[in-house]
Parts: sequence; structure tokens; C-alpha cells
Amino acid sequence: MSITLDQVTKRYQGVPVVNDVSLEIGDGEFFVLLGPSGSGKSTLLRAVAGLSGVDHGRISLHGRDVTHLSARERGVGLVFQNYALFRHMTVAENIEFALRVRHVRAAERRRRRQELLRLVALEGMDERLPAQLSGGQQQRVAVARALAHKPEVLLLDEPFGALDAKIREELRRTIRQVQRELGITTVLVTHDQEEAFALADRIGVMNLGRLLEMGRPHELYTRPATRFVATFLGAANLILALQTKDGIRLGDTSVTLPTAGPPHGAREHEVVAVVRPEEVEVAPARETLTSAYLARGVVEEVMFTGALQRMRIRLEDGAEVAPFAYSNGDASAYLEVTRTQHEQRAYQVAPGQSVAIGVRRVHVLPTPLSSFTACATSETLTDALSRQALLVELASRMKTRISTRVEPRLGMPGAARDASAAFAGTTVIASLPDVAHQAEWLLQRGAEQVLVLPENAPAPQRVLIHWADEPVRGPTLAVSASVLRHVSAEAVYVGILPDRTPSAQRPHGMRALLDARSEAQAVHGLEMRTELRFGDVAEQLARRLGEAPGQMLVLGVCNVSGLAGRFGSLLDAARWPVLIVRRESEGPALVSAISEPSALAQS
Amino acid sequence: MSFRQPSVLPGFELTLGFTTFFLSAIVLLPLAALVLMTASMHWSDFVHVVLSPRAVGSYRLSFGASLLAATINLVFGFIIAWTLVRYEFPGRKLLDALIDMPFALPTAVSGIALTSVFAENGWIGRYLEPFGIKVAYTWIGVTVALTLIGMPFAVRSVQPALLEVQRELEDAAETLGAGRLYVFRRIILPTVLPALLTGFTLAFARAVGEYGSVIFIAGNLPMKTEITPLLIVIHLEEFDYKGAAALGFVMLVISFVVLLTINLLQAWGRREPVKAAR
Repeated sequence: MSITLDQVTKRYQGVPVVNDVSLEIGDGEFFVLLGPSGSGKSTLLRAVAGLSGVDHGRISLHGRDVTHLSARERGVGLVFQNYALFRHMTVAENIEFALRVRHVRAAERRRRRQELLRLVALEGMDERLPAQLSGGQQQRVAVARALAHKPEVLLLDEPFGALDAKIREELRRTIRQVQRELGITTVLVTHDQEEAFALADRIGVMNLGRLLEMGRPHELYTRPATRFVATFLGAANLILALQTKDGIRLGDTSVTLPTAGPPHGAREHEVVAVVRPEEVEVAPARETLTSAYLARGVVEEVMFTGALQRMRIRLEDGAEVAPFAYSNGDASAYLEVTRTQHEQRAYQVAPGQSVAIGVRRVHVLPTPLSSFTACATSETLTDALSRQALLVELASRMKTRISTRVEPRLGMPGAARDASAAFAGTTVIASLPDVAHQAEWLLQRGAEQVLVLPENAPAPQRVLIHWADEPVRGPTLAVSASVLRHVSAEAVYVGILPDRTPSAQRPHGMRALLDARSEAQAVHGLEMRTELRFGDVAEQLARRLGEAPGQMLVLGVCNVSGLAGRFGSLLDAARWPVLIVRRESEGPALVSAISEPSALAQS
Repeated sequence: MSFRQPSVLPGFELTLGFTTFFLSAIVLLPLAALVLMTASMHWSDFVHVVLSPRAVGSYRLSFGASLLAATINLVFGFIIAWTLVRYEFPGRKLLDALIDMPFALPTAVSGIALTSVFAENGWIGRYLEPFGIKVAYTWIGVTVALTLIGMPFAVRSVQPALLEVQRELEDAAETLGAGRLYVFRRIILPTVLPALLTGFTLAFARAVGEYGSVIFIAGNLPMKTEITPLLIVIHLEEFDYKGAAALGFVMLVISFVVLLTINLLQAWGRREPVKAAR
């Protein structure tokens, strides 16, 4: 392995900007770190170069641990977005800089310089000053300069950022060519997915300091594991769908589609489906569709973008289709569609036209968190709840919707108002004095996740994880991992043993802790710290949560009856958000069916 | 050649007129008067005044101490500017504002303050005394005073240039294997050198013309701690206007030569990269 990162964390003023990143890059590989600005990708690159230290973790280059070596001693080649050429030196002096530092003889320096200038196609430019070159040429000089001392690793930090489209593509080709010719291990940082697709052998997608997924470009595009990757790599329609025994069902139109994902167990539950714009078909009528019918819709907008036509289609009222994740309570749900010239010729559409919509291919995200439903005893309360800042922020980051549901008998004995309507996704209730009873009531009526939300809760900086019953470990970890992908927080597993635990059994407690940790890491790519406490579970958790503001708890339970009694002291009028995860103990099959296989673990 | 120049600001003729007028009234005419006054002297009188041992001693002190002070300011001004530009620390803004204090203070006040601190029984002077170092009433005191009043010029000239040295350049040099000293010598220094020279020039020019602060700390012993501006004042007090003018003329010529040399050096330094670019 050329580059090995092991649990690298870098904090800036206490906030992790790179959060537990582990990564292996092979010899001669072209690896692209892709992410929006502020995702920590450049910080990670600087850490590899040795320009900034890390707070935790190890970095190895070719098997040599360089964590504590300076940039000078690591000797990687680094190319900056703004070229960072020495302006008072000529091209020749710039390129020879690394050689001059190493006291290489003049003749040898000249030979190497000629070779590099040929490589980046800048022969004869030796005596120019950087100011006399175009941006593209300057960046070529920067590449040549970074390669002069024959580094084992080449790092490129948004090298095309300051260039215009045409030059960008030309330079991109040059860099790919140089990389192939030299067989040098290369890491490129960018926020441009097209660039990533064009260059990468493998892509790693970062967000909020975490490395979410990595894989070959095609794999990541067709089978993303997270919402973020699905929507960041190309456009995606996220649709709430129902997972059934036979496959997935979009809305009430009882159509099952072949899914690209693994089967998700027998239980019916809400899932998030990804439909790429190019996988949507439009036709005049349902009968003329060649793919599975989804709904009818009205074309809202048609845009010509050269090779492709882009459309926005609003689903017609009355179409019994699962609400679109994006719509967020808005009645109009849009579908993004792209069509080729060929498709356009076969069936012309104009804005205002009504069309039948079909879906060719659907990919189901293995995320356990689909949508949120704010639930309370009156409409005023549900409205207030659904506007809570933390909930709105979470939902928008997850690109999902918040619906509302009034349950006048919430927490009281008796059936739900409409027993047929299951509680799909995550049910959100306000933190009230008797909230534990409400949570128990909801869980008994089929809710799988209940989020107890105190008023004006801040975004969590630490997520505490605890499961009261062992069978629910997998789902709890899956839900925790999903939450942590959308907030910039650290994860802490809190294990609690009864006070009277004989010391002989304490090692068992530690074992369980370490098992949990390795499962989180292996299955979800989730790095978490562990803590062991002694005493009553609810009391210890409440005490831990009370220690600092900005904490949140993910609590896994199997046994719903008696929940209010067990966790009443923790939940009632809680000042911190608590996400309760319930799964029936149906044995290990269910656990593995729900848990979220991470792309990190697959690769 | 036309005087018309396209420009964003209108009124080239008007502004040129003002420029010429003000330069003439404030700079050129008084200087011309000085030269005329000198020219009306007999050559032997002129030589007598200008080359008297007392006058020569004062030139040596004035220009020697000024050069030394400017050199000190070059080094420490750079360090201060570097600290202010590169580091974030509590009180940085206050320190930054403090730099300008010598600008605002009446020079006599700084002179008296320095004297009281560096006198044999002053706060600092009393600790230097046992080592046989006397600051007040010696050439060292003169240098200290000139350093103080020239410091803001050096710092303020270098500061903007240092801001321009991108961190990335240093990072790039470091990844290419350069040590800190090498980075300083080959990357930072070449970039800020013109600004350093400007700071040096300004500090020097200010020091040569300084009067107020020096006379308090110098002690004003003829031949030893008497600066040329003071000698001029002494001539004036004796109503020897011509002698004063002659000394002023000599200062003018020496200052002009020194400043011209530095400016030429700078111009030559600027041309160097262009030549390499050819």
C-alpha cells in the first residue's frame, strides 16, 4: 500500500474537521477525494503531505510510519489550487528548486528539467517567469516542480479550480497521462464529480469530515449506500417507498420493481429509493411505457443542455404515489428527468403536457432512517413540533420530509385513531413530563424509531449510544451510523453494568464493549469511543447526558412493555434528544437484514 | 509628446498644476533659498565653516548614528512586522496600534522620556552602569533616540509586503524539501526586499532630520555628541545665518546622495527578474 491512513482525526478548535478516516491507497492508484467545500478533504490532503499535524491516528507512506515526520522529511509532491509558484524565479528555477535544495549537480538538474518540461508539454519555456504564463501553463509548471525530486506520492489539491473549462479538460488529460507514464500513486482533491469520474481509479466521498463511501466510480454511481453519495454523485430523485416481500413498491400502484440492492428481510417497512433522472421514462400513456409505471405527471419545465434534455415533472394530484423525499410537506413533488436526443425524437414533450411516468431501475438505500412524522395530540402541537430547528435541520440534511400526524389518544390506553396506518419511518414526539408513556404507546403500535425532542435542542456534538437488549445491537448501530453521517458529532458507546457486578464478570462487560466497537467499525465504518459505567442504566445515562450540553442519545430496546417504567427517569421532560430504536427480537436474521452494510466494509 | 493622459480621475492639467505649485512653494523654493544663501558666501568662509573639526564630527555622528539606527530598524522592524502579520495572540491589535506612537508623540517628549530611562540613575541606565555602558549623553543614546523615531517607518513598510507572501509558497517550498532558513532566504526575503529597502530609506531620512528627541539625550558635547542639526541651531543663535545655511547645504547634498543610491539600488533590484525573463 502506498498510502495508509488509520483512524485519522484532525480537530480545529475542538470540532473535528477530519473525523476518524481510515483509508488504503494502492501503488500506482489514482484516488480522488470528493466532497463539498468544508468536508475536510483538503485538510486530509495537507495531513498526508505533513503540512498539518493530526490529533489522532496514523499515516503511513509505503509502509513507513510518517505520522510525526515533517513535510520536508516526507517529500511528497504537492500541487496547489493557486499554483503557488515562486514568482521571482523562472520556470527553470521553479522546477529545479527541489533539486537545488538537494544539492544535485547543475548538469543533472538541467537534464531532469528538460525531461519534466517535455512531460508536461512546456518545452522551451525554461526562462519565462510565472507571470508570463497562462493559468494552465502555470499549473503545468507546478506539476513538473512537484515531480522533480521523484516523489513516491503525488498530491493534487483542487488543481483545476482556478482554470476555465477548456484548459481544465486539457490539463486533466495531461495529468492522467503523466500519472500513467510514471505510475505514481496520486491523490486528487476536488468538489467536481465530473472531474472525479474522469480521473479516478477509485473515489472516496467525504462529508462533514467523514469518509462516507469509497469505490470505483461506476459502483458508487449505481449503488450508493448513503443519501449524500446518491445525491452528490450526479442527480438523484429520492423517493420514499415500501419494502415488501416481493420487492419494493412505489406508492399504492402495486408495482414491484427489481432492485439492485440486497433483499431486506420479510418485514414491510419504509425505505429510501434512488431513481436516477436517466432511469425515468416518459410516454403518452401507461400502456405505451416499456418500464414499470409510477404515476402520471405534468411537465413543468424543459431545459435544453446540449446532448441531454432535462425536465422537471410534477406528479399529478391524486396519483397515489409515495411522497417524494425532497418535497418536505409541500404537496407538489417534482421528479428530475433527463432524456437523450434519441428519446426526445421518439416522443416530443412541452411544458404543461401530461405524461405517464415509468421507472426503469431503482436502487434502495440501505439506510434505516427514511422520513420523520411529527406526532402529537393536536394540530397546533404537531405544527410546532415539525418546525423545531433541530428536526428541520436533520430532515433537510437527510433530504427527507417531515409529515405530521395527530393522535388525540397518544399515550392513552386503546387503539390508534387509524389502526391500519402504520407508523412509518421515525416518529417524533415532544419532550413532555409523560413522554415515556407516549413513546411506549407508539412503539407498541408498530413505530420502529421514536425521537423524543426537547424544545430548542441544539445540534448534537456528541451522540451517546446504548442498547438495553443485546439483539437490538445491530439496528441501534445502523441508526446511529446513519445519524452520524448527517451531523458533525463524535460517537460514544456507553456500556453499563449493574453495580453489583462481581469483578469476575467485569471483563465480560469490556468484551461486549470492544465487540460493539469492532462491529460499528467493520459494518458501518463508524468509529466510536467506548465508556463503561456501573449502576442503574437510566440513571447513569441521564447523568452522562447531563454532564455537557449538545449531547444526544440513541437508545436501542427490544422489550417495549415496561419501557416507561425502565426509562421514565431518563425520558420524561428530557432536556436532550433521545432516539429510541425498537426491533423485535426475531433472532439474528432480522438483525443482519436491517443493519446497514457500508461500502467501506465491502471494499 | 502630449501631456494628455487617459485616466479614471479627470483634471490632469489642474492636478499637475497643483502638484507643481505645492512642490515649488513647500520644497523647491526653500531649498533654492538655502542654496542661494550658501552661494553668497566666500569660498574660504564656506570651507572654514563646513570643514571645521566640530562640523565634521557632527556629520560623522549624524550620518553614522542614522545609518546604524536605520539598520537596527531594518532587522527589528522586520521581526515586529512578521510577528504582527503571522501570529494571532491576545493584544495583537493593541501592539499594532502602539507601533504608530512615535509618529504621534512630540519628539521632545520621547527625548525626555528616553533620557530619564537611560540616565545613570534611570530604570534601565542603572543596570547598564555597572557594566560601564553609558547610554544617555553618548553616541549610543543618540542611536537609541533615532531608532525609536524611525521604527514605525520600517514596520509599516514591511507589513503589507509580508501580507503578500502566501503561506502556500512556504508550504510548497517545504514539501519540496527546503529547510526554514532556505525558505526564508530564497522565498520570503526576495519578496519583501524592496519593502525592506523602502523602510530603511524612510527610517534613515527621518533620523538624519531628527532634532527634538536627540538634543535631550545627546548631552551635546562638541565633537562627541553634537549632531549637525544642533550645530545649525547654534549657528542661528549666534545670528550666523550663512554658516547655518552652509551646514544645511552639506546635509542636503549628503542626504541626497545616500537616498539616490538606495533608490538606484532598488530600481536595479527590480530590473533583475525582468532581465532574467528576456
